[in-house]
Amino acid sequence: MLSCSPPPSIERARPLLGTVVAVRVRGAAPRAAHRAIEQAFAAMSEIHRLMSFQEHASDVSRMNREAARAPVTVHPHTFRVLAWAARLAQLSQGLFDASIGGRLVEWGILGSPTDALPDPRVSFRDIELGSARQVFFKRPLWIDLGGIAKGYAVDRAVAALHACGIRSACVNAGGDLRIVGTEAERVAIRTTAASSDVLPILELQRGALATSCGASSSRIHGGVRVSCHVSGRTREAVDARTTVSVLAARCVIADALTKVVLADEAAAAPLLHRFHAVAHVHHPDHPGSGWRQVGARQ
Amino acid sequence: MKARLLLIPLSPLALAAPAYAVTYLTVEQAQTLMFEGSVLTRDFRVLTPAQVQAIESDSGVKVADAQLNAWRDGTGGWFLLDQVIGKHEFIHYAVALDANGAVRQLEILDYHESYGGEVHLPAWRRQFIGKHHGSPLQLNSDIKNISGATLSCGHVTDGVRRLLSTYALVLASAEH
Repeated sequence: MLSCSPPPSIERARPLLGTVVAVRVRGAAPRAAHRAIEQAFAAMSEIHRLMSFQEHASDVSRMNREAARAPVTVHPHTFRVLAWAARLAQLSQGLFDASIGGRLVEWGILGSPTDALPDPRVSFRDIELGSARQVFFKRPLWIDLGGIAKGYAVDRAVAALHACGIRSACVNAGGDLRIVGTEAERVAIRTTAASSDVLPILELQRGALATSCGASSSRIHGGVRVSCHVSGRTREAVDARTTVSVLAARCVIADALTKVVLADEAAAAPLLHRFHAVAHVHHPDHPGSGWRQVGARQ
Repeated sequence: MKARLLLIPLSPLALAAPAYAVTYLTVEQAQTLMFEGSVLTRDFRVLTPAQVQAIESDSGVKVADAQLNAWRDGTGGWFLLDQVIGKHEFIHYAVALDANGAVRQLEILDYHESYGGEVHLPAWRRQFIGKHHGSPLQLNSDIKNISGATLSCGHVTDGVRRLLSTYALVLASAEH
């Protein structure tokens, strides 16, 4: 039946932010849709350029090389993400901590940005955000904005789509995604379970979803399994078998909260509540389906 | 924000790990998008062993396929169609080069992902997440997203480096 046919949708994808980023626009004329998608990609490219750990000229690389010696002035976007990171680090008492770059380099997950290794005892408290977008490190440290920057990039892409008059869309940066409009999207969640008789699907309408899995980039380092997800507080790898999907209003929050839940599920509950966020946590040892919900729904 | 978690029972015949496959653009759609208003002329080549070797040493990337799928426009620009195969992914993508051989645009045409060896099987390429029963959801058409392990794109970056060497060593030099 014609009335049941979905509105026309146009989707394009590019390699960005270390993953495949897809933008899907619904219900817009093709020319307007392509123009808006182009703007969304441009917004995400800018975030990639500013916050990449590997690119020499990025704000993150400049800070990692120079901010322990003298304050580094960064782009307003970078400063905003650093402010989110600082707030989440404070609220989570260090469970979320962007100063873990040194650990990820040590484990071979990120490439070393400079020859001099950072101080192993650093924390988010060593990152000072000053006036006029200046950043200063009290001790040599390497900041990694990886996931939270990806979440922020998705939020920027959504803002770009809004500015182009798009009312219905989905932006997905490798699992950090945000949905615009009234139409519900269904998202398959990949867990670490080797085999399962159920397929977890999150049905989401208007909002952001981020999924982090303890096994991401998993490898053995010094006889211990490590991954790109580190508890900001203990500096140890989180449980590789846990998968966390967080639903929140903004993707930058959703992504950061996945790290907090991975690090300490119980401690994360009040923080999820504060941001009106909810986490679905999968672990093969959880009873029943392996899934449980943490946090309050709005 | 409104959301709910659904646990869809999978048929025992379904693949255990969800695989992800999506088509974004056809070759024709990508050509129209990247070269609107231009006439593209097909100019396919088969790279000689010497060219393959030169490209590999210049780019540091292995040439898996000697077939070069290239189209030229009237102003010296090129539309190149390429594919990369990683451990877990199979990606077709298109690159538009300007008359100076610089990348003007890159679009991923399709992305197929799997865990295991099924990537080369046509049956796998047709399926999306897995067969199921007992659910009103049409998995193949309703679920366009996957959230979890990050989709890999490193091979596309390598592929573009290989294509830029191919342009410099094969396409650009042939014009002089």
